[in-house]
Amino acid sequence: MKSDLLTDLGDAMLSGSLTDELLMARTEKTPPVRLLPDANVVKIGGQSFIDRGRAAVFPLIDEIVANLPHHKMIIGTGAGTRARHAYSVGLDLGMPTGVLSVLGTFVSMQNARMIHYLLAKHGIPFIEPAQFAQLPLYLSERRAAVFFGMPPYTFWQENPVVGRIPPHRTDTGAFLVSEVFAARSMIFVKDEDGLYTADPKKDRNARFIPRATAAEIEAMDLDDVVVERAVLEMLKNAEHRRSIQVINGLKPGQLTRALNGEHVGTIITADAGA
Amino acid sequence: MSETADGRHHVASFLMRESLVDKEVLRSTETAVVRMLPSAHVIKVGGRSILDAGRSVVYPLVDVLAQLLGEHKLILGTGGGARTRHVFSVGLDLGMPTGVLAQLAAADALGNAHILGALLAPYGVVAIPPEMFGHLLPLFVHAVPGVIFNGVPPYSIWEHPPAIGRIPPHRTDAGCFLLAECFGCSTLTLIKDVDGLYDRDPKGEAGAVFIDEISAAELERRNLATLPFDRVLLRLLGTARLLRRFQIVNGHKPDLLAAALRGEHVGTIVYA
Repeated sequence: MKSDLLTDLGDAMLSGSLTDELLMARTEKTPPVRLLPDANVVKIGGQSFIDRGRAAVFPLIDEIVANLPHHKMIIGTGAGTRARHAYSVGLDLGMPTGVLSVLGTFVSMQNARMIHYLLAKHGIPFIEPAQFAQLPLYLSERRAAVFFGMPPYTFWQENPVVGRIPPHRTDTGAFLVSEVFAARSMIFVKDEDGLYTADPKKDRNARFIPRATAAEIEAMDLDDVVVERAVLEMLKNAEHRRSIQVINGLKPGQLTRALNGEHVGTIITADAGA
Repeated sequence: MSETADGRHHVASFLMRESLVDKEVLRSTETAVVRMLPSAHVIKVGGRSILDAGRSVVYPLVDVLAQLLGEHKLILGTGGGARTRHVFSVGLDLGMPTGVLAQLAAADALGNAHILGALLAPYGVVAIPPEMFGHLLPLFVHAVPGVIFNGVPPYSIWEHPPAIGRIPPHRTDAGCFLLAECFGCSTLTLIKDVDGLYDRDPKGEAGAVFIDEISAAELERRNLATLPFDRVLLRLLGTARLLRRFQIVNGHKPDLLAAALRGEHVGTIVYA
């Protein structure tokens, strides 16, 4: 019996090895389809935002609601200080990275539920990973949905190079949602204006960086950066999402301007001159 | 609870106020880690190499697995095989992104898990639904001789975009590796249709030289054109804390498997 596949590439994959880089290069030749090209992914920080309570969260919710007529939003949530507590206890007790990943998921889910309840009267649902098939319907009908930012890797979370904290957390999970759906934008809402040369909360000499490529940031070898390092790494390999924007959600109007395509905060790109 | 000068509020912990991106902070989290299932063995049964090959290959292997279930706790993962290659080719033609291909591939490996589960059902070993597999694994391992899962890690639409092409990098070898590492299992064995690793594909090229033992770093350096396992395993070995090696064993010689579980060197060992 001989197989006869739709394409030559299919035949080559059936007989060849998926570790063959020449064969893999052929798999990106077909033009990709953009699945949700008019949706924006907005990630609301945990420690930086939600943990600040109503003073920070309520104005942002109002701004999200005001933008619903103009922009579709897939809203992800960070974990924050409770995740840090869970990680601290878990590390002391010898938990592996995969178990810490489960703990981080629970905390970002709590935050997603709270953001969801604040948006509930506008008919906006909270979806777990198994419900992402309904996402297009919710975006068409209600123009937004809330998800927990943690990617659902649980026990299959990769180890970090250093330490034991899961390297792929809520920034990464939100970024990958924007990549797979070829969303219109990826906006990280934090409590700083964007990327600095050091943590501006700890170093008064920290200098603001309005725009940089992922490679430039890596070359700076900063002790701390405003998004998870895995996002910078994945940005370089991404097929659709070649830039991200980090904005200060404590400043009214920043989210609106970012959704309108304006350069506020820091824009980090995969490509120079983009 | 404490409020700090920056206006943020925190639960007291040694990571409070800290950036989890900060290099110094991350170094402080390098602590000893517990092994959840130290006596269990993880075995990946190849899709295309074993299950697709049919009864002449699968039945003798199932007989050996049945014997081993009497003395070892086995966690069996399955590959997706030819059907995964087919769904990749149709998905690519339709312009699907990497994350969608990863989501689709989970179904083929799950089908194979159920085939293996039907053959091992007389021994009380069945395929466990992926949704409950991870969380209930220790319960299953203590209650029954073994379990089967689709080796696919639950990355789905959250799969990482690869450096080259669109094929999901975390496939079933990676799913078995990450599981064995997280649960601190005793061994990881990849059952394929070759004796182990060669310097080139032994099926296509005469004169391929067998490599009986090699480090992940050396293998990265040699950058062989093909490998008999997911390439991402080399990187995962580099950061593994508990699983410092895995062995590739020829499933067409199933008696080797018993020796492999005893820790004997019967195929190719790749170590960290």
